[in-house]
Amino acid sequence: MIKFIESIGDKTINSFNSIYEALKFTFLCLIHMVNPHSYNPAMRMVLIKQIYFTAVTILPLFIFMASIFGSVIIGMVIGVATQYSLQENIGSIIVTFVINEFSPFFTALLISLRSGTAVNTEIAIMSVNKELNTLKEYDIDLIDYLFLPRIISGVISVTFLSILFALIMLSSGYIFTLFYMGMDLHIYTALLLNAVEIKDLIVLLFKSIAFGFVIMLIPIYSGFKTANSYSAIPISVLNGMVKLFIAIFFIEVLALLLQSL
Amino acid sequence: MLENIAIIKEVQDLLPTKQAQAEGVELLDRLKLAHIGNLRVAQCKAEELFYVMFIRAMMTKKNSIVIDMPYAIIYNLQDIEQIIYNIELLNSKKKNIFIFDTLNHKTRYKNYLSS
Repeated sequence: MIKFIESIGDKTINSFNSIYEALKFTFLCLIHMVNPHSYNPAMRMVLIKQIYFTAVTILPLFIFMASIFGSVIIGMVIGVATQYSLQENIGSIIVTFVINEFSPFFTALLISLRSGTAVNTEIAIMSVNKELNTLKEYDIDLIDYLFLPRIISGVISVTFLSILFALIMLSSGYIFTLFYMGMDLHIYTALLLNAVEIKDLIVLLFKSIAFGFVIMLIPIYSGFKTANSYSAIPISVLNGMVKLFIAIFFIEVLALLLQSL
Repeated sequence: MLENIAIIKEVQDLLPTKQAQAEGVELLDRLKLAHIGNLRVAQCKAEELFYVMFIRAMMTKKNSIVIDMPYAIIYNLQDIEQIIYNIELLNSKKKNIFIFDTLNHKTRYKNYLSS
């Protein structure tokens, strides 16, 4: 019985310890982010490359997905709205669904799968190969050189890709409304412009920033904490991705709760 | 390789990337190794990697450089003279450059050991 209670205590202490370590790491990254000395030439070079790999190379796939999802999902939304006689609210339904919910969430999922896994594996391999120790020996700050450019690139990439996703989705949605409802471009644009509010754009921006931050921070932390063996790399990626998806859903739920206040 | 060398100056002396890389090229060129500047680690020979490591160490602000068992780093190294000659070519301003090795390699250093 005592052993059972001890094991619960052990697990609780370990959980609190890891939460404390993760929060400390996040805090350190934020401190470095606002420190101008972190932005040295090497860091800026890594940042540019990282933005290229995260946001630019994904563009063809991203545009294709946004176009397909745009016409299909907006078609479904309009279909359901028509079925329940909500034609008058179609504009606000589309705006809320596309700008507030779908664009940041889908972008976050896509970037997590593509860049989150890559960053987690990269940092884990560097950790196992002792490359991180070598950088430390050369007095190179790991947060400035390795972690910060990836986190900032995550924030920038997810924000811009979310905006792009929303724009492409809304544009391709017009094709559906044109064929399904025979809606004029002018009417479609007016419908959306009347429905969109500053609040929607702020929600899109804040959600994208939050998603971008965790999409890089959690895989980096998971890779950084990898045990010292090659077999620990897949475990690290697996754990990192599970934690990342929990964080994405947590942000999504939190945003919904805040919007409903 | 150039990025690996330049990073030290970029971080420690805040040199712009181009300038830091130019310094790296200049040092590699002294050893007639400028051609490895654009190669990746896997494409370089052990000897070339050794000089890249040495140049990186030269660029740090630390006073001393320690070379730990050069015959283990460069597996096909015939003669330590070759390394010492190239290190002199680099004209390092470091106060001390030490070479540590095991006793079974003692004879290979006979010209540099005092009785």
